[in-house]
Amino acid sequence: MREKLRRLGLELPLLPTTAVGSYPKPPELLEARQKLLAGKLTLGELRPLEQRATRDWIALQEEVGLDVLVDGEMYRGDMATHFAENLDGFAISGLVRSYGNRYYRKPIIVGKVRWRGPITVEWWKFAQGLTKKPVKGMITGPYTMMDWSFNEYYPSRREACLDLARALHEEVEALALAGAKIIQIDEPALSTRPEELPEFAVEALDIVTKGIDAYFITHVCYGAFEFIYPQMLELPVDNFDLEMSNSELDLVELFRRHPFTKDISFGVVDVHSHVIEGIGLVKRRIGRALEVLSPEQLWIDPDCGLKTRTREEAIGKLRAMVEAVKEVRARWR
Amino acid sequence: MELLTTNAGSYPRIGDLPEQQRLRRAYAQWEKGEISDEKFGEVQNEVTGEVIQEQARAGLDIVTDGQVRWYDQVSHFAKGLEGCEINGLLRFFDTNTYFRQPVIVRRLRWAAPIVRDEFVFAKGVSPVPVKPVLTGPYTLAKLSINRYYEDFPSVVADLAQVIANEVEELVKVGAEIIQIDEPAILKNPRDFELLRTAVERLAGRKHGARLALYLYFGDAAPLYDELQELQVDALGLDFTYGKRLVGAIEASGSEKELGLGLIDARNTRIEGEGETISLLRRILAHVEADRAYLNPSCGLEYLPRDVAFAKLKNMVSIAQRAREVI
Repeated sequence: MREKLRRLGLELPLLPTTAVGSYPKPPELLEARQKLLAGKLTLGELRPLEQRATRDWIALQEEVGLDVLVDGEMYRGDMATHFAENLDGFAISGLVRSYGNRYYRKPIIVGKVRWRGPITVEWWKFAQGLTKKPVKGMITGPYTMMDWSFNEYYPSRREACLDLARALHEEVEALALAGAKIIQIDEPALSTRPEELPEFAVEALDIVTKGIDAYFITHVCYGAFEFIYPQMLELPVDNFDLEMSNSELDLVELFRRHPFTKDISFGVVDVHSHVIEGIGLVKRRIGRALEVLSPEQLWIDPDCGLKTRTREEAIGKLRAMVEAVKEVRARWR
Repeated sequence: MELLTTNAGSYPRIGDLPEQQRLRRAYAQWEKGEISDEKFGEVQNEVTGEVIQEQARAGLDIVTDGQVRWYDQVSHFAKGLEGCEINGLLRFFDTNTYFRQPVIVRRLRWAAPIVRDEFVFAKGVSPVPVKPVLTGPYTLAKLSINRYYEDFPSVVADLAQVIANEVEELVKVGAEIIQIDEPAILKNPRDFELLRTAVERLAGRKHGARLALYLYFGDAAPLYDELQELQVDALGLDFTYGKRLVGAIEASGSEKELGLGLIDARNTRIEGEGETISLLRRILAHVEADRAYLNPSCGLEYLPRDVAFAKLKNMVSIAQRAREVI
């Protein structure tokens, strides 16, 4: 896919380093979001704090030396709810439990899903305006939006998913029009019901990406790859961003049996652990990936979004990753 | 005819109203060490009483304790056993909830009853009969990491021993019908013989009580005829994963009592009376209505509290209507 990147005007080094999406929000932003919920703050007052936090993360990523940046999602609550609130056809439910003492509000599809205008474009433009490095456009994909929502309107999961795909296609088009050349479609739920991959998940991503000239990445986590690999390679994207270091499954063994034919963003640091990986460990993980993948195919990133880590942990993990990549690249010269 | 209504497991432990958030606040305080185990236990008792009252208010004939004390359906049993450690979070089937995964490190030993006292408490505060729920040995084994036993069947066998003890303890304190959840078998039909043997172990200790085997998160139609041969008194089936189940019942009838999971416990859409009645009509042509229960497709905690209540009320009214028209 190197050629596509070049054609899009993106000159990236081998083993481009990037992040998956989210970073931790600073305490003053978390506090302000609580006040907003309690009705003690307006959206207009929240905005400057979100912008300041975004600026901070763009500067930090540049300083650490990432090649492809993300906006850090300072403006998002939940990755599904954020899109549900900005599409027609959705309501938001009462609290449901996720685990332990964690509860969240789940989107409900109550009518035909339609795109009513850009959801992420302004933030993408804001972030891209702060740096010369490419910033990824970022949406939550149709399958995950469907799987993570209640559905009171559509007769089937398939129909809900395909209409979501049509709405999200317009968002992707708007991102591309604004100048986004790398667009990530987050699909963490993709392996939930493996039988639905050929039934409609591939078709849904086809609808989202059709006719748009961009380099597409899809982020998939939560395991169960043995059920959707290698069929997963049929998805119309250029790069798969997979969770690796936190997985019991040896994906490298899997790729030995069925060669990976697309680009891959290989997660080399564990976002669920407080411990910052040593450079040696990260290099060994990259080495493992290079046993079954060519350097032209390989991007390096954390397992998942870093929002649950502290700022220091997040930066430490990114730094370990970038330093390890530098050492690997140096060996090739 | 008598089509009874029942819950099939959990009930939402908090709701959107401030007074419905007591358990959440107490949990946070307990985690920080601000309140004692005893105080937290009192709040759990109160909330258990509330969700039982709420189910009774919806009109259910048989309720559960709502499992409001359980962290999840797997670790709640594993943490009561010797030989088991509890690992990190893993997704629970295809839901958006997570369970803590047990790791078996030594020979499993049942030290004391796990849910007996919960049942005794629930029974004491409930105006209607209470059905205790146990997670079945096959599902517990399937969702655990085995670092001790030579093979998987040995894990299932020892867990069957454990759950059989639980069954017996429940019978001793007055349980008349006991629900055993075995959702994991639906995606692993090749392990059916393991399930059969495990169920026999449980049946051997039930004395006069009845066992209801509940299967959900999948389509039971391909296994329907084999399920009929199991040594249980009732089968609970999830009708939300495919359209073939009603046909399977029409084709083979049912030797067992049936728990009809026609009410989708994973979706906020309230079932239409007409659609549910027409399915009931087809099913009840082959099963005596006094051998059938109407219930949600699985536990209700995937729904917001107010929707769970509305679903149950709607279910009760559908059952009433069905008694009139079928």
